Amino acid sequence: MSTAPLLRLTGLTKQYPGVTALDDLTLDLPRGRVGLVGANGAGKSTMFRLLLGLAHPTKGRVEVCGIDVGADPIGVRSRLGYMPEHDCLPLDQTAADVVSTFGELSGLPARAARQRASDILDLVGLDEARFRPIGGFSTGMRQRTKLAQALVGDPELVLLDEPTAGLDPLGREEMLSLVARLGSFGISVLMATHLLDDVQQVCDHVVMIDAGRLVVSGGTESLLERTGLVTVDVGLHGEALVAALTSRGLASVITDGLVEVTVDGDRDMDLIRDTVADAGLPLFRLSTRLTSLDEVFVRRSGGTA
Amino acid sequence: MSADDELIDDPALASNATVEVGAVSVWFGPKVALSELTCSFGPGVSGLLGPNGAGKTTLMRAITGLVGVNEGSIRVNGRDPRRDRSVHADMALVPEDEAVPAGLTARQFTHYLASLHRITDREAPEIALRTVDLLDVADRQVDTFSKGMRQRAKIAAALVTGPQVLVLDEPLNGADPVQRAHLIELFKHLGAAGRTVIVSSHVLNEVERMADRVIVLVHGRLAAAGGHRAIRDAMDDTPRHVLVRADDGRRLAAALVGLDSVTGVNFDPARGELIVLTLQARELAVALPRLAKHASVRLLEVRPLDDSLESLFRELVR
Amino acid sequence: MSAVPSSADAGRGAVYDRGYRPYEGPRGRRGAATFALYKASMRRALGLRRTWRQKVAPFVLLGVVTIPAIVNVGIGYITRDQIGGDRIQIIDYRDYVGVSSALLLFVGLVAPDVMCPDRRQRVLPLMFARPLIGVDYVVAKVGAIATILFAFSFLPQVVLFLGNMLVSDSALDYFTGHLDVLWKVPISVLLLALYYAVIGCAISSLTDRRIVAGAAVIGLFLLTSISSGIIVGDWSIEGGSYGALINVLAMPLYLRDVVFLGKVADDSPLNHMAGGGLLALACYLGVLFTGSAVLWWRYRWVER
Repeated sequence: MSTAPLLRLTGLTKQYPGVTALDDLTLDLPRGRVGLVGANGAGKSTMFRLLLGLAHPTKGRVEVCGIDVGADPIGVRSRLGYMPEHDCLPLDQTAADVVSTFGELSGLPARAARQRASDILDLVGLDEARFRPIGGFSTGMRQRTKLAQALVGDPELVLLDEPTAGLDPLGREEMLSLVARLGSFGISVLMATHLLDDVQQVCDHVVMIDAGRLVVSGGTESLLERTGLVTVDVGLHGEALVAALTSRGLASVITDGLVEVTVDGDRDMDLIRDTVADAGLPLFRLSTRLTSLDEVFVRRSGGTA
Repeated sequence: MSADDELIDDPALASNATVEVGAVSVWFGPKVALSELTCSFGPGVSGLLGPNGAGKTTLMRAITGLVGVNEGSIRVNGRDPRRDRSVHADMALVPEDEAVPAGLTARQFTHYLASLHRITDREAPEIALRTVDLLDVADRQVDTFSKGMRQRAKIAAALVTGPQVLVLDEPLNGADPVQRAHLIELFKHLGAAGRTVIVSSHVLNEVERMADRVIVLVHGRLAAAGGHRAIRDAMDDTPRHVLVRADDGRRLAAALVGLDSVTGVNFDPARGELIVLTLQARELAVALPRLAKHASVRLLEVRPLDDSLESLFRELVR
Repeated sequence: MSAVPSSADAGRGAVYDRGYRPYEGPRGRRGAATFALYKASMRRALGLRRTWRQKVAPFVLLGVVTIPAIVNVGIGYITRDQIGGDRIQIIDYRDYVGVSSALLLFVGLVAPDVMCPDRRQRVLPLMFARPLIGVDYVVAKVGAIATILFAFSFLPQVVLFLGNMLVSDSALDYFTGHLDVLWKVPISVLLLALYYAVIGCAISSLTDRRIVAGAAVIGLFLLTSISSGIIVGDWSIEGGSYGALINVLAMPLYLRDVVFLGKVADDSPLNHMAGGGLLALACYLGVLFTGSAVLWWRYRWVER
């Protein structure tokens, strides 16, 4: 595997009559699992089209896995897998047949395609169902088949468009854990989604775009800043805790039934612990308050729709 | 306690109920969509949850009169939505599918619905459009909208009639994070203003934020009802998991094992994390800081793992 | 050596990782992908890897178009002992390169089935992420239909030829006396197959509904054939007419005649028209060109 960044966009602009879909994007994305979140515009579909070489940028350059998409779109597509959001599977064929045919379409010899199709269907958890026509599948099974056809060609990067759409909470969990595992197989992921919670769970890196402009691009962990506040849940005894903390010199307020304490260093953690213990209060929760990606996004994108 | 008091204490029944579902069964041929379901909804936001195929959409359509019930009764403000057309003036459904009328702009769509319901206030459609943030694209055709925008258009069309009961099936589908945040605030606001808002969604952490109570359906039957923390407390035969991070996890683990309230401890040395299993969450919560202080172990994080709606759901549906 | 299992074997154990195996083997590009699509489309048209119901039409059709050959051979065999005169032939090779309604129905059935579902079920975007471009897609699909049409028209000819060889007095003499058939038939069948494949696919590419496409294909053929017939009138009496060139259905037959006879046949509606053969060729190419242009336009994937 080369050491080129997963994606390199240089001054990427795409204009359609009347609307600028992407505006002067410049970023480097590392290999791994990247979340793509967009607001106010069709930036996500445009981005995928540009990555697949199905549209030409108005200005700027796109490089995927070190290959210039404009110069060699076929070469790029040989290394990509794509899982669209909409229904896209032939309904009268079996999952096994469809995945192996798409393996051949990715350039694999017929026997290898069939082999890999079987392996990948195992991986996504389709057992005997794979020999039934797709027309009879539930949403969860269809999503898994869509993912399987994206993986069968052993891509370097797989593009996922809202992979958890339409799935119930359990299905979503299963899909997200599948996506999380892709990283360990050496496959990078670019997942476009509206659910920041999914991104926070699964992605190492997140890119946010608002109306075609880059809002933020950074490691998920680094974006979730520490706030210098510690949240304590002592049930219904919040007032008593605040009073006790004040008497020990720690400032705190009650928000939404939880006590938020301003701390300065880990020593203060011990002080909180002792205060709770001495007062005989139940310690249900103790955590350093992190911002959520939702808050990061809303704050940085100006919050207006 | 009298029988009446017990009935009122049933979490499946809301106080000041506007929508009452009484022992309702609905089937389509051999498939039973709802099975002897009894619950009610009142002012505020109620979340309707369940796996795919559990009957949520059928329940919504039954409440709004689109589908008849085979057994039992549904009453909206005392009237039968299937027979009594006057109910529809007070109620609106925003379904999940993407179908929107072709050829109409957003503005025309809301005005059309206002006139259908004989709303003479010319401002009402404009207010509805502003509420969902579609004013600046109000003159574009709805069939050119993205999925999220179509949803908002449909919500505006539902709001324009000023309904007392609002039923929404996956209303946040396709909306980007900013729109989602706005819509969640909108629903909370509507609920606080006294409207009965029934929302179904698969994104549980958002339901947690919006809804005061939840109704969980599994295979057409009621699996749980009420506030999610209260539901969690009601499930007292399953052990809770509490995650604890400390500077000396091993010593803390050794001390915890000695507690009566602890049924098990998993210690992960690589991450310095403990997962403590307990059937007595409160006893553990009181004992933990004392134990830590006594052993001079610094607590860095204490977090119940099954507190969320997600984990509750997982338990219920298993 | 005793046959008692060694206890040492029981003492060893391992767990093998069944996780993800990356693919290290050969990987083709456009050519391989196009060929794979070609094969997959043929499988679809013939109903392979699908339910038996989808196999009925193709194979019944094959049976139907082969019947005249079998009958001919049968008659030849039954009358083989008649002395003098040629064998009775109910069909000759030139006539057999023809347009049976069975074949037409087949085009109307199969071309839409191969082209329309990809569009209707929105499978096309999945092709986007493959090393395949619009031209490759079209070539693979048209090629698949053309191959099947070729095979279905050619196989009966083979049956006819072999059958005739076998019932004749001397198989070898028959063979050497009919060498020209060996190149005339394949070429004219190819002209036919390619033509109908392009038309069928081009029309099917205009819609995502199979029934509409099928009706359009058959409708086009019937309409032009009938109008041409009206314009030409009774050509056996009045001579040929240029109106014959409107007949989209029968166009390849004029070329077939040129291949078999070196000129437009006397019994064709185009007979005795000046430059008839060349005009027929020009119209034929015109149809192919128009069809290809439509296909190119419908499957342009890359926007500027």
